[in-house]
Amino acid sequence: MSNASPLISNGPVALEASGIRKSYLSGDRRIEVLRGVDVAIRAGESVSIRGESGSGKSTLLNLLAGLDAPDAGALAWAGEPAHAKRRALFLGMVFQSFYLIPEIDALANVLMAARMVRAPGVAERARAKELIARVGLAERATHLPAQLSGGERQRVAVARALMNSPKLLLADEPTGNLDEHTGDAVIELLLSLCRETQTALVLVTHNAVYAQKTNRQLFLREGMLSHG
Amino acid sequence: MPWYLYLACKQLFPSGRFPFFTAISVLGVTLGVAVLIIVSSVMGGFGYEIRKMIVETEGEIDVKAQSSLRDPAAVLAQVNAAPGVAAATPYAKGVVAAMAGGRPAYPIFRGIEVATVEAVANLGRFVNPRTAITDLDDDSVIMSSQLANSLGVRVGDKIEIYSPLLIEKLKNDEVFLPREFRVVGDLYIGHQQLDSSTIYGTLRAAQELYGLGRSVHGIYVRVKPGVNEHAVVAQLNATLPASVRAVSWMESWADFLWVLQLEKSINFFLLLFIVIIAAFSVMSSLLISVVRKTREIGLLGALGARPCDVALCFCAQAFIIGVAGTAIGVGLGFGVLAIRNDLVHGIARLMQREDTLRQFYQFSDLPAHTLMSDLVLTVVAAIFVSTLAGLLPAWRAARLKPVEALRSE
Repeated sequence: MSNASPLISNGPVALEASGIRKSYLSGDRRIEVLRGVDVAIRAGESVSIRGESGSGKSTLLNLLAGLDAPDAGALAWAGEPAHAKRRALFLGMVFQSFYLIPEIDALANVLMAARMVRAPGVAERARAKELIARVGLAERATHLPAQLSGGERQRVAVARALMNSPKLLLADEPTGNLDEHTGDAVIELLLSLCRETQTALVLVTHNAVYAQKTNRQLFLREGMLSHG
Repeated sequence: MPWYLYLACKQLFPSGRFPFFTAISVLGVTLGVAVLIIVSSVMGGFGYEIRKMIVETEGEIDVKAQSSLRDPAAVLAQVNAAPGVAAATPYAKGVVAAMAGGRPAYPIFRGIEVATVEAVANLGRFVNPRTAITDLDDDSVIMSSQLANSLGVRVGDKIEIYSPLLIEKLKNDEVFLPREFRVVGDLYIGHQQLDSSTIYGTLRAAQELYGLGRSVHGIYVRVKPGVNEHAVVAQLNATLPASVRAVSWMESWADFLWVLQLEKSINFFLLLFIVIIAAFSVMSSLLISVVRKTREIGLLGALGARPCDVALCFCAQAFIIGVAGTAIGVGLGFGVLAIRNDLVHGIARLMQREDTLRQFYQFSDLPAHTLMSDLVLTVVAAIFVSTLAGLLPAWRAARLKPVEALRSE
């Protein structure tokens, strides 16, 4: 059940994956998690991927992020082969568990993404402050992650993911550790920021309501993507 | 600043809380470095004090023949004419028996030429009263302080001295009477061996005690400031008669100095193990850090960090611990050295063992002399070993795959 999903946006293709296959060894048994996934996402488009637990959503997201290598298939970011060296500038990631660095404050966590590319200057610091303000944490910029609530931490993670103005944002269950109200706010924030910045968004979620808010809804079933 | 250095600093010294693990790691290196500096300085101090004592009492060069110099005036003229020589003075010395109030002692009698000795040896510094050197005549002596105490002799008292010639005279059934000397001063150098067994008299008195006639045992030489004594020794040996040889103080005391150097090297090697053990502590706390921060390491990969940069982050932490521990250790080491005598005398006083300390340590104060080469060696070794300790944690962190690290529990 190969998927050549319709493209909603008219922008350039930000991500294109074709024939992605991935399997794991479990004892002496090989489990095929992805069996030839095809997907293309344009700039400014938001796509949700749903699926049952263990269906391979996070595996697919890691492959799309270039954090893991597929057994077969091709992955292109903005028309060029995906490569780890381009990751810091091309894409941002938001995780279910936030993964903020506990020793540095919220602003420094946002700035950390910029540090991966170059030593931050005045422009980078200004952008980090702007993003922190945009996610509603201007007053809490100097707070350590331990001093922030779950929702606030996830908002810092969203700001960090957008720090380098990526073309693609990959969000893996970003509301998984949040209450419903906070989760709604984080999803709205992600969608609005991606719309504003014409960033392509891939949202992995279990929540059908959040999935409905994206431009396209895909479902991962038996290692293949289909319309939800 | 590269991100890995920034993060290394932040992980070691996080905002808002006391860096407990860092403090423990730094403390280990600090103690190792401080002990290394204290011990190498004290060992260096013994060597330095001995050098000072030798040079200040005997000059830098000793010109001597196999038995004695039969024509000292000619050799003295040659020595004084050599370039680089500031002054020279003849001497005769040997063991004698001293008696006072029925108590015996067997000190070394050092015969000096009163007119020239002060130009070579700063004996006046150690003698009380200072004029005792110039007051010295053929019937008077200056006694080292501990020797005078052990014989119960004071300035103005008389002592009897028997020379080894007595044995020869007794073999020939001749009667030999001891020489009587008046004590005109006492000598305190601060070195137990010299302070307990030295008598200074005139050269003529020593020649008489040893039956030398006009001969002397040797000539002490002082070189001009800034002149290399070894060059002067080579120059003298090229011009002096073959039966006469000039040796520097280092050659004369070569075996002793070698033993001191050996002791110092062995101590350094053994004490370096404190730094190595501290490095294991650094390694284990960084390995714990790698385990604790596995998901953060995965995040760094997701943010675009290269494995080599992740490795550098942990190496940098070990390096920073090494530098901080070494810097504090150097300060602590010099701080303890500054109060070493108060500490040692305080402990000795508490245990009522001050005299024992003086007797066995040779020096009244604990000497210390830090060579720049020792300091550099200590600093480089400590930082190098600490940084090495970061390699294993760095390697483990770099090997973590971001996907697996992010999934870890």
